[in-house]
Amino acid sequence: MADRDEARDDILLAPIEQTGRGFYWAVALLSVPILWGALAYSVQFYEGLGVTGLHQPVSWGFYVTNFVFFIGISHAGTLISAILRLSKAEWRRPITRMAEVITCMVLFIGAGQILVDLGRPDRIMNVILYGRYQSPLLWDATSISAYMTASLTYLYLPMIPDIAILRDRLGGKRKLFYSVLALGWTGTEQQQRVLNRAIAVMAVLVIPIAVSVHSVVSFVFSMTLQPMWHSTIFGPYFVVGAIFSGIAALIVAMIIFRKAYGLQPYLKPIHFRYLGQLLLVMSLLWFYFTFAEYLTGYYGAEPEEMKVFWSKFSGPFWPFFWGMVLGNFIIPLICLVRLGQHTVGKVLTASLSVVVGMWLERFIIVVPTLSFPRLPFAEGIYWPTWVEWGETAGSFGLFALFYLLFTKFFPIISIWEIREGREAGLKEVEERLITYLPDEVEGKT
Amino acid sequence: MALWGMVIDLDRCTGCQACVVACKAENNVPAVGDREAKRERIISWMQVLTETDEEHHGEKMRFIPRPCLQCDDPPCTKVCPVYATYRNPEGIIAQIYARCIGCRFCMAACPYNAKYFNWHTYQKEGPGQNPDVSVRPKGVVEKCTFCHHRLQKAREKALAEKRELDPREYVPACAEACPAQAIVFGDLSDPGSEVAKLARSPRAFKLQEELGTKPKVIYLTEGEGGG
Amino acid sequence: MELPHSDFERLVRTLQWVWLGVAILLVGGIIIWIIHLIRTAWALDDVPSASIAISLVAIPIFIVLMSVVAYVFWGLRTHGRER
Repeated sequence: MADRDEARDDILLAPIEQTGRGFYWAVALLSVPILWGALAYSVQFYEGLGVTGLHQPVSWGFYVTNFVFFIGISHAGTLISAILRLSKAEWRRPITRMAEVITCMVLFIGAGQILVDLGRPDRIMNVILYGRYQSPLLWDATSISAYMTASLTYLYLPMIPDIAILRDRLGGKRKLFYSVLALGWTGTEQQQRVLNRAIAVMAVLVIPIAVSVHSVVSFVFSMTLQPMWHSTIFGPYFVVGAIFSGIAALIVAMIIFRKAYGLQPYLKPIHFRYLGQLLLVMSLLWFYFTFAEYLTGYYGAEPEEMKVFWSKFSGPFWPFFWGMVLGNFIIPLICLVRLGQHTVGKVLTASLSVVVGMWLERFIIVVPTLSFPRLPFAEGIYWPTWVEWGETAGSFGLFALFYLLFTKFFPIISIWEIREGREAGLKEVEERLITYLPDEVEGKT
Repeated sequence: MALWGMVIDLDRCTGCQACVVACKAENNVPAVGDREAKRERIISWMQVLTETDEEHHGEKMRFIPRPCLQCDDPPCTKVCPVYATYRNPEGIIAQIYARCIGCRFCMAACPYNAKYFNWHTYQKEGPGQNPDVSVRPKGVVEKCTFCHHRLQKAREKALAEKRELDPREYVPACAEACPAQAIVFGDLSDPGSEVAKLARSPRAFKLQEELGTKPKVIYLTEGEGGG
Repeated sequence: MELPHSDFERLVRTLQWVWLGVAILLVGGIIIWIIHLIRTAWALDDVPSASIAISLVAIPIFIVLMSVVAYVFWGLRTHGRER
């Protein structure tokens, strides 16, 4: 029975045990944008930020957009993993690890964007030595550090039983690596209790940390006095947008690896249907926040706010604004509104469209406000250079590479959670459903 | 303790930009070059903004010399992550090039766009520069400092001569250079000083006062102003 | 708890302690950093309220994180048995 069990999920261990040609092709393909990004950054490091398109008054552009975007994607892990785990949703089991890995990898890329954006990256130690907590950037540093440590812990703990499986199956040099990380896991009852307790604590802890992360990122903008930045809605708006883009990124990652590793038995249409429904709900929620934000600005008609408003609606930024609406609302709605008919193709289209739309949303928040200063300055239009495009491409490529390398060392689907679902899940759900049913009332007359 | 401030009389300002040139010469502000200028990267600690009258379009032009307004509640110092910019006890907003990490948060926060960035190494140290003012490296923010080095020099001179500093000895380059004497500089906390008296004039107004930045550069509107 | 039987297991045990040490060092380092920032702000009289407010939230979170990691390490090691 144990042997059959072991062999049943072999396909989940296959990427770790063998490496096919596809892997090397993928790495080669990814190295193109990564090398472009590396070249771009080295030119910038040597020459200065002048090689970008930044200028007076638009001193923040692609890099800050990317920062907000990538940190936003990191909310994939929290929502799926923590919230679904706490609400005991059984369909989360094959998805949790993919989501948690996205969070861990993308946080490094996101934090890296700020480093890239600094005029003096050689002085980064100044933030450690002389940081000021009145500055939202320090709130960012603290919050993101907390999120990074929490999500790495939250990724690692549920991986321990799977690492133990690898420890027992593999030999050679890798055996030492997995033995150390497995922390002596043998699957005893007490060990399971310890682990479940720790995971439960982390699941609860990670949610407020995640909410704080993107709120604090939004505070970088809303704590200034600039028109269309100084808005009270930014905290929740950014968190909603982050969860939204996170789900979309997760769906894209799921579909790619499902194809690449043949995971169709595990990632079934029902999973995509549920995630598609979540994506639809987030799209509507995002639209509501956006509508509230712009209606408030429009109705108040403050002249400096309206300058920025019209520049987005019909002025120089209209392609990006309406592209954002198309990508975040119209296309997902068309693809997902028939709730019972989410094919994988439709869900993929909606997700890709949301990823692009959310990037545009970040851009539309950062650049137009800076482009229209309050005082009568000459207005300049921001045109990003090859350096900024390269850095963006390199960041996406690096994220994809990190993710791919992870799947080479650890199973991308949580094997023990799948097994737990098979063995205990059905019974547990049935027992839970019985407690929902009305109690029997004693005979009356 | 002194509270250094400035009053600029818009009726006297002719838009000649002598203040701009004097500031650049005094503070080693780099000439960024033609290509960088086209890319909107000119550094101009003192900048003359032009506003056309909306009703009489093209007829009346208003010139507003805009140095750093040295706010008493500065939005820029709040957001600096590394103590590179802060308000010193005499009301001057310091900018410490050696500490700045170039995050440009202060630039994004300033409602007057008074801060500038060194997008490249625009100049190295060399002859012909003012030796009292440091030459900025690439990747740091800079702005008008009310010619703070002149205050330091005047203080040291007074100390050497064993006397008190006379506020009239400390004048920034722009105030000194203005041919129309439109810029008056001095100690706002001394109610008898010329600058404090002008600041109380019925013609006095502050740029974007409603934002609550409490700027210490006060403008006198053209004509007789409101009551 | 049985004694490690082989060189390999001894090596694994040592590296696990190193692993725990790295984790505690990292998280402990962040806590020390936050305290350092508070002390700097206090000495410079620079809005100490911001520092205190943040640290009241952040430091407990990091302490909880450190405790969870240590708890798992201890729990799995002491409740393991021979395979």
